[in-house]
Amino acid sequence: MTRAQRSLTPRTRSSFSWRDTLMSYAFLAPALILLTLFTFYPLAYGSYLGFTEYGGARFGQGLPPKWIGIENFRTLFADPLFLTSLGNSVKYLVVVPVLQLASLAVAVLVNKNLPGMTFFRAAYYVPVVTSISLAAVMWEWVYNKDGTLNWVLGALHLLPNGAVGWLNGEATAFWAVMLVTFWRGFGYYMVLYLAGLQGIPEELEEAAVLDGASAWQRFWQITVPMMKPTILLCSLLSTIAALRVLEEVLVLTNGGPLNSTYTALMYVYSKAFQGFNFDYGLASAAGLVVAVVALALSVANFRLFRESDGEGT
Amino acid sequence: MKYALRLLTLGLAFSATSGHLSTAAAQQPVEIQFWTWYLSPKFDPYIKTTIAAFEKANPTIKVKWFDKQATMVQDFIASVNMGGAPDVVNLNIDETAKAAQNGFLRAVDGLTAPATLKTTFYPQTLRNFTIGGKVYGYPWYGSLNEGVLLYNPDLLKKAGVSAPRNMTEMLNMVKAVKDKTGAYAWVPALKDPGGASFLGYFFSDGLPIYNASGQAAFNSPAHIALLQRYVDLFKGGYLPEDALRKEAFQLATELYAQNKVAMIVGGPQALNRIKDSNPSLYAKTVVTTAPLGKAGVQTGTSMGMVIPTASKHPAEAAKLAAFFTNNVNQMEFAKIVPIVPTTAAAQNDPYFKKVSADPIAKATSLVGASGRFINPGFKVPGNSDDLYKNFSDNIEAAMLGKKTPAQALNDTVSYWNTNMKK
Amino acid sequence: MSAVTRPIPSVVPRRKSSKKALRLVLRYVLLFSVLIFAVFPFVWTFAIAITDKRAGTSIYDFPASLFPKAVTLNNFIEVYRTFELGKYVWNSISITALTVIGTLIVSALAAYPLARFRFPGKHIIFAIIVATLVLPGETTFIVNTLTLKKMGLLGTHLGVVIPTIAGAFGIFLMRQAFLSVPTALLEAARLDGAGEMTILTRIMLPLTKPSLAALGIFTLVGTWNAYFWPMLVLSAAPDKAPLSVAVLRLKGQFNYDPFNIAAGSLIMMLPVLLVFLAAQRYFMKGMEGAVK
Repeated sequence: MTRAQRSLTPRTRSSFSWRDTLMSYAFLAPALILLTLFTFYPLAYGSYLGFTEYGGARFGQGLPPKWIGIENFRTLFADPLFLTSLGNSVKYLVVVPVLQLASLAVAVLVNKNLPGMTFFRAAYYVPVVTSISLAAVMWEWVYNKDGTLNWVLGALHLLPNGAVGWLNGEATAFWAVMLVTFWRGFGYYMVLYLAGLQGIPEELEEAAVLDGASAWQRFWQITVPMMKPTILLCSLLSTIAALRVLEEVLVLTNGGPLNSTYTALMYVYSKAFQGFNFDYGLASAAGLVVAVVALALSVANFRLFRESDGEGT
Repeated sequence: MKYALRLLTLGLAFSATSGHLSTAAAQQPVEIQFWTWYLSPKFDPYIKTTIAAFEKANPTIKVKWFDKQATMVQDFIASVNMGGAPDVVNLNIDETAKAAQNGFLRAVDGLTAPATLKTTFYPQTLRNFTIGGKVYGYPWYGSLNEGVLLYNPDLLKKAGVSAPRNMTEMLNMVKAVKDKTGAYAWVPALKDPGGASFLGYFFSDGLPIYNASGQAAFNSPAHIALLQRYVDLFKGGYLPEDALRKEAFQLATELYAQNKVAMIVGGPQALNRIKDSNPSLYAKTVVTTAPLGKAGVQTGTSMGMVIPTASKHPAEAAKLAAFFTNNVNQMEFAKIVPIVPTTAAAQNDPYFKKVSADPIAKATSLVGASGRFINPGFKVPGNSDDLYKNFSDNIEAAMLGKKTPAQALNDTVSYWNTNMKK
Repeated sequence: MSAVTRPIPSVVPRRKSSKKALRLVLRYVLLFSVLIFAVFPFVWTFAIAITDKRAGTSIYDFPASLFPKAVTLNNFIEVYRTFELGKYVWNSISITALTVIGTLIVSALAAYPLARFRFPGKHIIFAIIVATLVLPGETTFIVNTLTLKKMGLLGTHLGVVIPTIAGAFGIFLMRQAFLSVPTALLEAARLDGAGEMTILTRIMLPLTKPSLAALGIFTLVGTWNAYFWPMLVLSAAPDKAPLSVAVLRLKGQFNYDPFNIAAGSLIMMLPVLLVFLAAQRYFMKGMEGAVK
């Protein structure tokens, strides 16, 4: 504690206080200034672009964006590729519950003072520190028709129809890409869960052990309920990340085969970055649609966890 | 007399001012920014030496060189946006067309005399960079799609075939090679991310891409039959599946070095890679003339140097672009890496007449003087990104059996004709 | 699920310990399975990176390619030399260090009042900050580069760093961490007359070390691997580019040479991995010292 002995009247926490307010905004100032400058302002501008015609030719000739109302959104919803891509992104959400449960389970697995735990934690984090370009190269080799996955499965006699080009088939590419997302993600969420797990009092765990609760029961009845705030954070992050998945697709399949891995962000990306024919207006509009879906899912996420907590509105 | 005197004074005054101007310029050299594409670090010495030579010849110009990679186009757009546009940019034919259509480029025939351009370059290489009647780029180093045929003689022997002399022979031997050796015969360019390479096969067989009025017209029975040929081979497992996901040339070099493909049709630059990754195979590799389609024509593509509208020093930029693309400097480049110069004078260069047993040297001699064949075979359509994507999707659908070749080509043609921007 | 109501099993020490041993074995079996999944591609890459390619081996020869016959460091040397990676390593360190420190300071400062004060606008501010996680940021880079140009920061490391340090994730994470610190501790400190800055630095931050470590690691990794943004900001100053940007050129030059790609990627990855291993120990300490 501090040595300062100025006596201050304890403030009631419920009433308005100038001191608290000024103090709060002083603390928030750096973040708010930076966010306004580099996040909100460009976001507002980007949203505005969604209602304008702005790209290639206009840009090249130095013309400003031209307001065209909801024209971009009409174009989007008439474009089968956009609808496919949005559908694929929503389908990609399948990865979220699997990834979260697995990450939490792995966190529990390494959250023990046993020999080698430091090593395991570090090793599980290796995929997270791997840059996407290296990950792409490695998984490309794994999924290749002559790659490791076929070698392992072949050795186990699990390939009745011979080697499979995992990234080349419409039926497998989507899941193959998703496995890479899972691989890149579980170490990340594991660390977040580990940070949360140390908030669970050990006595609780010990008491349950004395009560004869199995590991399975302890996981569901102590760990999961106690970890709710962290689970909320992680599934929120994971949902948004899944909806906005791009890098894996870009480097592994480029949206193919037959657009089966073409995600919404891939659409945004290709419209915004397709060289000199780029269309910032359409890309921004597509980005807005993705944002609306993400926002809806986030609200749903909060609701889900609040209500199962018994504190629902 | 009075008149002559006045002229003389004027002349003197003019020369005095211009002399004054040029000394001022000498004191403060103009700095121009020069962007190349995917050339560093492998060709650093060549680029740096050439720049040094240019600066020596033009003491008033300083060149600041950057090499751009995957984000070239994004960086270009961003830099124009930020007001710091480069002055000379190295783009390919496709990107030059897109940039010009969108107003990013300055026509270079206003900067260098059209007559000079015409005498320096082959007519076709110049035509490749001509959009709407104006030249937008100085043609630079090129390559031929059917530059040379490289093959692994062991695999061809095992398959009991000899090197194909034309594409008909090539297509006929695909099955035999795969069945007898397990290796693919070759990797055709079925699909690539930013282009429509399969159109090149139509052109090679003398089939038109557009009709007389500029509409897409690649859905005649002959077009369909050709696509059918490839679809049958693909479905039979005679062409690598990865060819739908990766760039053909990339895949071919990868597989060739592993003895998994018997032949490569393309530019000799594949040889450099094979030399690095499998030297013993490189030594065995046989280089010969490439098989051509029924039309008996080569196709090829080249790089160019363009000058952005936003460049603040177009005159100096034009000087640099003209310097880098002139015959002397393209020939110097060809001596380092087997590129095909786009300058007309290169066809008579003794360097390409040498006889050698080394595969790279042999390939260089075979293709080096054939810059006149550099022609993609079709004009880049307006709105090309969407059109190419649609074309690639349809080719893929045909290969994977989702559409018949006829359906795929009909769908593409109707999409192209609805969405093509002029 | 009647775990709690189930009668406590009669404790037979021997049986209990054998059950414990079984559980331990099971735990390690699981640990090793996850390990294989996590690092297999990495191990393979490592094997390829140290393979002497002149032996003419294919990377697809299993299991031979996992156990290279001829081992060499030439691939590393070749990549390092060709790309002059030394200066880029320093750039990466500079950018990453600035970003991590900046993120930790800004996030902790902002999270403290959001977790611990009542003030008008609190909920709205928090909601807006969290909302940035889902809003579309695809076109922000254009506006941000323009802003940086006006500030004269284009082409500098600060220009890469400043726009990225205030983020919803860091603020959210630190807020959650501060919320878990018992209120009683704070009230006691306030009664002792401690200023808010003192409370933040002497009580809150030490108690939330694991979260700080976690945020630090996440930021470190993200910054180290990021390439699009730094490439854009530093496009006119390639000598200031980080390793991630420099290594990207590998793909352009060596995409046909898996051995060099593997070596180059490992060079890039190693520093982050080492820092993570070091921070991991600290992370452990933070966990032990954390309040229950």
